[in-house]
Amino acid sequence: MSRTAPDTVARSAPARRPARRLPVGGLVAYAVLVVLAVVYVFPFLIQVANAFKTDGDATADPLDLLPLPGTTAAFTTLFTQLDFPRAAMNSAVVAVAVTLGRVFFDCLAGYALARLPFRGRGLVFAGFVAVIAVPPVVLLIPKFLVLNQLGIYDSYAGMIVPLMADAGGVFIMKSFFESVPRSVEEASYLDGAGTFRTFWSIVLPMARPAVVTITILSFQASWNELSHFVVSRSSPDLNTLTTLVATLTSGGAFGQANQYPLKLAAAALMTIPVAVLFFVFQRQVMAGTEGAVKE
Amino acid sequence: MVLHHSPARRRTRAAVIAAATTLGLLLAGCGGSGFDDTGGAASPDGGSGAKELQVLIGSSGQAETTAVTQAAQAWGTSAGTEVSVTAASDLNQQLSQGFASSQPPDVFYVGSDVVASYAANGSLAAYGADLPGSDDFYPNLRSAFTVDGTFYCAPKDFSTLALIVDEKAWTAAGLTDADVPTTWDQLATVAGRLTSGDRTGLVTSSEYQRLGAFMAEAGGSLVTDGKATADSAQNVEALRYVKSLLSAGSMKFAADVGAGDGTEALGTGKAAMTIEGNWAVGGIASSYPDLQYRVLELPAGPAGKGTLSFTNCWGIAADSKAQDQAEALVASLTSTDQQLAFTEAFGVMPSVASAADGFRQQFPAQAAFLAGADYAKTVPNEAGVSDVVKDLNAQLEGLAAGDPAEILGSTQTNLEAALKG
Amino acid sequence: MSRDVAIPATTPAAAGTPPTTRPRSPHGRRQARAGWVFTAPALLLVLLFVGLPVVMAVWVSVSGWRGRGSPFASGVPFVGLDNYRTLLAGGGLATQDLGTALRNNSWYVVLVVPLQTVVALLLAVAVNRRTLRGRGFFRTAFYFPSVTSSVAIVVVFLFLFSASGAVNQVIGVLGIDGPNWFADPRGVLHVLLGGLGGGEAPGALAEHGFIGISWWEWLAGPSVAMSALIMLAVFTTSGTFMLLFLAGLQNISAEVEEAALVDGASSFQRLRYVTVPMLRPVLFTVLTLGLVGTWQVFDQIYAGTQGGPAKTTITPAYLSYTSSFVDQRWGQGAAIAFILFAIIVVLTLVQRAVLRGDRT
Repeated sequence: MSRTAPDTVARSAPARRPARRLPVGGLVAYAVLVVLAVVYVFPFLIQVANAFKTDGDATADPLDLLPLPGTTAAFTTLFTQLDFPRAAMNSAVVAVAVTLGRVFFDCLAGYALARLPFRGRGLVFAGFVAVIAVPPVVLLIPKFLVLNQLGIYDSYAGMIVPLMADAGGVFIMKSFFESVPRSVEEASYLDGAGTFRTFWSIVLPMARPAVVTITILSFQASWNELSHFVVSRSSPDLNTLTTLVATLTSGGAFGQANQYPLKLAAAALMTIPVAVLFFVFQRQVMAGTEGAVKE
Repeated sequence: MVLHHSPARRRTRAAVIAAATTLGLLLAGCGGSGFDDTGGAASPDGGSGAKELQVLIGSSGQAETTAVTQAAQAWGTSAGTEVSVTAASDLNQQLSQGFASSQPPDVFYVGSDVVASYAANGSLAAYGADLPGSDDFYPNLRSAFTVDGTFYCAPKDFSTLALIVDEKAWTAAGLTDADVPTTWDQLATVAGRLTSGDRTGLVTSSEYQRLGAFMAEAGGSLVTDGKATADSAQNVEALRYVKSLLSAGSMKFAADVGAGDGTEALGTGKAAMTIEGNWAVGGIASSYPDLQYRVLELPAGPAGKGTLSFTNCWGIAADSKAQDQAEALVASLTSTDQQLAFTEAFGVMPSVASAADGFRQQFPAQAAFLAGADYAKTVPNEAGVSDVVKDLNAQLEGLAAGDPAEILGSTQTNLEAALKG
Repeated sequence: MSRDVAIPATTPAAAGTPPTTRPRSPHGRRQARAGWVFTAPALLLVLLFVGLPVVMAVWVSVSGWRGRGSPFASGVPFVGLDNYRTLLAGGGLATQDLGTALRNNSWYVVLVVPLQTVVALLLAVAVNRRTLRGRGFFRTAFYFPSVTSSVAIVVVFLFLFSASGAVNQVIGVLGIDGPNWFADPRGVLHVLLGGLGGGEAPGALAEHGFIGISWWEWLAGPSVAMSALIMLAVFTTSGTFMLLFLAGLQNISAEVEEAALVDGASSFQRLRYVTVPMLRPVLFTVLTLGLVGTWQVFDQIYAGTQGGPAKTTITPAYLSYTSSFVDQRWGQGAAIAFILFAIIVVLTLVQRAVLRGDRT
């Protein structure tokens, strides 16, 4: 492997693009890329288009992207017979609460691990590392048991609090705080500010990009979460969008017939909030994902 | 990824040991107080007069949910008890979680396939024999909820399987009343004549819960007198017959025609006939109101008439803090008049013999379902059998290309193991 | 002091260095106390909802708890390794189901991990070119599936891959009669063999087996239904991994690339001998995350196929859930979770050893 990189670098001649080869090859590559992009986007177009069709039309002609005349029957059913609004509200409440908790606790812990020297810091850090290694699926059964023990099974608390445990976010914040110059805090301490005050009003504002990143990642993760809500609740009043839509697809009262427009409509609606967030904060989301996993 | 560095690794080990110790302490703490807490916290609620009965049902749809809610609340008003009825999205899962949390609903549906496992872990109250008028339930329904000689819970209602035929397709194929199939050969002929274009003669789900009817017609069953008889010659013959229909193309499984079940296949014109229970009647009325259909008794096989019956009971939780009220509610819900009211609302068949005449008068078109009660076999209810049936169903999906004897042979092995355990 | 400033955020060395010991000034003591206070909430949450559950699951997996009341109640028996034995060597239905789940998931991993890695790498290389028109659009298009919930994507795929669905209509134009994807339990390798005139199980393969199912079944390949889920996985994860590769690519200097260009290397050679070797650390991360993620498929099965058709999409994670929550065999469910845990740990270590050994 070493035979390529080093000596080519050594001979780095002035850059001269072999312009000849680009047009044909480039055009083919571009065409392939366009086709791929269509493959990636098309499912979502089909999803939205078919949400506005009747059951029969959706089954007979799924590829038709312009359902004329369209019908909103699927949406009416969602809102009148399925308590979609309640599930949407639950999803929102849970996602917002989880996000607030995660961001706050991640920042605190990340800051402490990065900057505050305390006995046992290495231990705590190693603890967080160990936690990341545990696959969430292993926790499915025992999480239910723990919630039971704590008496918060089938409640908002049981749905929210466990999701606030987030070692990954702690690492992101820790790395970020490590890159903040120390001189900033020292000035604050010299002014007589306490640790929390320094953290809250001096360092945290500087961490805005990282905070935005983990905010978006947390919201997205808790909005899209399914398995935790399967084991932490059972009453229909506490359905989130993910559990409600999963019920639609996996049988039950409304799942027996195909009813694709209904399911597609529900899936499309539940995608809107994360999609909007994604388009607004696209840069941070992408940069954040890169940074998040680099850990 | 930080674990690559050896100093960190050393510290990790120390951390893990320390964490484990902490957890041990934490757990000890929780084990001591946590459990007493749940017990202690729950009883004040129960004792403080807030006597609300929780009812969890596995509903077939809005009609059933409404009817059960109204009936339960009517009883609650006269008995001075609050009752709340919830339709489960996944009944078995929610019951499991309820049992494990010691806070199950008081009253709930229990299928005959799970009654043994709920009874085995002590979650079910065995009140069946105490119920006034318990002799009125059909004997084979009582046996479906009898585990080791104990009659656990009152059958809610039941259904048998029958042949549902699309009348338009029937006439279009030039068939008349004289062609109503009463034997396997006739069924094969009729199914063949009804198959044309996108329409398949007979479409049904690829599961024991439908195909088992053919086994019954051949004189076989999965369990006979507590012994596994899955690989009996009768059962093999039944599946060979089904396979012959599949090979001829006059029968297909619902999934293979892109339908969720037989009713959907019938309603969407993908099938001319299906084998379903009388829950299909409600489904057709709401989803395919224009479908003209007829319900016929299943044709007789080599051993005469046969079908399967399905039933749920009203389970009462052993952990319920209001056992007496729960029993009173069930007694009211299973009374002859109330059952006929349910029949009216969502088409189920009453589980008591005293309501049979009323049902026949109300629903002459569904007489075939009730006729099946005389010769129906119930799905075996022994613990562990439902897993075996699930596995059998998975194999039946491949029946068209599979070997009936082989499928039943592996089911026999599983069944023997399950019945032993 | 200024030493810390120089260290970039992602340098692992910074994370691994022990806390510098400082003079025990009042300020230092205050900070030490604050350190514990600041980490306490996150630490407590993690102990309570990750540490404690693991310990409880260990107990349940060696207990005979049957799902009523507390697993720590006095009547619950200790059964040692019985649950594990029943699963791995019992020979009954439980063993068969675990074997089937492992078979299904193995094929899923074997196909998804390389596919998603290659697709993500190619997408990243393509999108990374500065001259590319519409770079932003392409990045967005490829990444968007990663943002949406798995439940929503499953709904879309169930529709796309239904019997008369969009996929079958599209390939129908090419004259291919598509299968009824999510209802087709045939293993794709068996289907291919059948197409070549084979398809009957050779006696040796059918008679011997591993974890309750025969070698012939192990070699069936993923079912047609599972293949659709494999495509779903590649569709949803390639965008995330594309971003990781992009981050890595930006560290490769344009000079290196251009030097290779001048040397007359074809674009494939450049990719093979320059880009990929330099992306090694990212590749390691992508493969590890892929391996760990693909062994935990749950959402798609729960919301989509429920293990069907013919059990060809049950996975250990889903089996663990149904064993406990539906079939009341909590001990076995917990044991399956730990077997899965062990598989993930072992495979990650093996993978690390292989990739490390490869480097020297």
